[in-house]
Amino acid sequence: MKRLWTLAPLLLVAAFVLAACATPAAPPAEAPAVKDFVTWYQYDQDNVDPASDERVGNEYLRQTMPLFNTAFAGKWNWVNQPKAFDKMAAEIVAAVQAGGDVPDLFEMGSGDLNQYYQNGTMQNLRGWAEQQSWWKDLDPSAVAACTGPDGGLYCVPLSSRPHLVYVWADRFPNGYPRTPEAFMAEAERLKGEGLYAITFFGSTAFDGEGTSRAIWTTVASFGGSFDDGQGRMKLDTPENIAAISFLREIVAKGYAPEIAFAGGFQEEEAFKDASAGSFPTGLFGYRYVNPLVAPDGTAYSKGNEQDMLDAIAAGDVILSSFIAAPGKQPGCGIEVNGMAMPVGAKNPDAAYDYINWLMTPEQNGVFVLGPGGGFPALLTTAQTDAFQTPFYKEAAKALSQSQCRSWYGTLNRVKEAQSLIMKTVYRLIKEDPSLDIATELQKAQNEYNAGS
Amino acid sequence: MQRMIARRRERGWFRDTLPFWLILPTIIVLLAVQVYPAIYTVWLSLHERVPTGWNWVGINNFTRLFNMGLFNESMGHTLIFLVGYAGLTMILGFFIAQLLNRRLRLSGFYITLLFIPWIIADIIVGIVFRLLVVPDYGLFSGILQNATLLGPNGISVLTTSRPPALFGAFPFPPAPAMIYLILASAWRALPFITLLMLAAMQTVPNEIIESARIDGASGAQITRRIMIPIMLPTMVVALFSLTLSGMNGVGMVFSLTGGGPGTATEVLSYLLYSIGWRQLNFGRAAALAMLIAVVNWLLISGTLRLTRVQERSI
Repeated sequence: MKRLWTLAPLLLVAAFVLAACATPAAPPAEAPAVKDFVTWYQYDQDNVDPASDERVGNEYLRQTMPLFNTAFAGKWNWVNQPKAFDKMAAEIVAAVQAGGDVPDLFEMGSGDLNQYYQNGTMQNLRGWAEQQSWWKDLDPSAVAACTGPDGGLYCVPLSSRPHLVYVWADRFPNGYPRTPEAFMAEAERLKGEGLYAITFFGSTAFDGEGTSRAIWTTVASFGGSFDDGQGRMKLDTPENIAAISFLREIVAKGYAPEIAFAGGFQEEEAFKDASAGSFPTGLFGYRYVNPLVAPDGTAYSKGNEQDMLDAIAAGDVILSSFIAAPGKQPGCGIEVNGMAMPVGAKNPDAAYDYINWLMTPEQNGVFVLGPGGGFPALLTTAQTDAFQTPFYKEAAKALSQSQCRSWYGTLNRVKEAQSLIMKTVYRLIKEDPSLDIATELQKAQNEYNAGS
Repeated sequence: MQRMIARRRERGWFRDTLPFWLILPTIIVLLAVQVYPAIYTVWLSLHERVPTGWNWVGINNFTRLFNMGLFNESMGHTLIFLVGYAGLTMILGFFIAQLLNRRLRLSGFYITLLFIPWIIADIIVGIVFRLLVVPDYGLFSGILQNATLLGPNGISVLTTSRPPALFGAFPFPPAPAMIYLILASAWRALPFITLLMLAAMQTVPNEIIESARIDGASGAQITRRIMIPIMLPTMVVALFSLTLSGMNGVGMVFSLTGGGPGTATEVLSYLLYSIGWRQLNFGRAAALAMLIAVVNWLLISGTLRLTRVQERSI
């Protein structure tokens, strides 16, 4: 009897545990039919901090979520789960592979497409997308950026984000230099005034994110590339060596500030206070680089994206293509921003409705001006007044002189390549400028290709 | 009669197996949270992800790791970091504990102050320490980058490259960023280690120390011959804790240096994070995790053996 009493509480605990693990009872039949539609954005609708780096996207979600929920009242309820920009890729891949909770749609950049594809993370949307009314209005290069190695469409492109150069006009009274020689002359003049000609993402931070920014812009502007067109890395080329020699000279002569190598996006500081005259970065950089103080002391101090737009409208900041080697066209990187559907999405119908809603004339421009941060992938939207502002006109003019393409070309292991290239370039231009460029580039490409 | 025999048999079975049923929940939990992940890690390390699923690659992930230039370099960085971090924290912890053990006025207040770093998340500590030395804009960068005070170009902690290596490819002497990382990590770990040491010190009987003094032992002799032997088990625990946190922690590297400048502070745990969570190469990351586990095991068994030898010699 005594043993039975000892056993009874144990049985009771076991019963509770089993009850807790059991499937919850089915909801009553009269429960509303509204289903949650879940997205992952790097923005947080609940973050109202005006100083947040992501305030543009945060505000966009705050404004549009109620609109979507009204448009689809009684059908879908949009729920956004914010994710840090540098963690989202890992979380989505892990969630898909572990069979965990995944969103119905997530925001992605085309630079991540290959690693998502390799990990079997996304669904091919081509069959559905080609049936939609907006399909033929999409910029073909944006569609290509969302196309996987097997020809599947793994994201629906919404905006193209090219790279260009933000320039303080007063630092370059004769205009931004067009050739390396002219740049060096201007840089020497600025150095004499205690200033820097350029700041750029020169560190190895964020696993070599710098590769896709100024490093690629320079290499492309010297006619170089990182791949052989067949999926293998090819770094040891005369064009690449010339580009790295150019960067090495900039660093060795002190034409770039030390903060360019500090990581954490702190290279922006030197442009904000105009101590550096130019800053090659993404078009979307205008949102993050603020407040600003112009060379003549004019302060743009709203502390938000409007500062850069105001500085451009006032002519203090101009947008330019990069310096190009003689006989070469200025190069630049480009990334397409779009929406992707993960494998295991619970509510694909809502995702399709959402994409169609984003493609409406009312919403498309709003998205591109908000989280899109680039040029619209829909050609009709690009013609609207919202994209004829001084900022967009200036950007279009600069980009018309450049040839933009993705930095990774045919490389499949994009993040691995990115890290390897940036670490090699950093070693060559900053850590040990006495190293032989060709030898180090050869070493890096051999290491990558050994895994192909 | 038969019923009684059957009941007794049942009771006998119940009595024999009861301990098993009682520990079963614990076994299930251990299997779920320790054994399964360990087996899964081994499985992952032998596979590679392709779009259609997982491919068996045997030891290819390990081979690729050994062929990575950064892997060997990271081993060197890890060793330097561990020796610096554990050594500095142990030495400082011991001396601060000795000071606090002297029953100073306001010693409770000092202990409270001392504990502040421990309650701050390592990511936050990293960010704060970083902001102090950001080139040109940090609080201390004016002093550190002053060429008149510190060498021909001053020191930019986050961007100055390491000096030329003295021992072949081994990354010694370290870059200023590595030294700073060690200092920041030690600053954060110091309270816990000091408290452990203080607690151990307070277990040393006063009578023994008094007798030693009467017998003419010096302060150093008392420390070496009496205090350290009595404190040794606690010191081993402290060393374990530091070794494991130093070996596996990634938060401070992530927020303070990001592995840079270049690769100067890229330790194994950060390399693991980078391969797994940035490059999303879970197979190779699992292979590296297994290697780190082996290094952890070697470090711990080495420390234990060393301690036993010391105990015997004392």
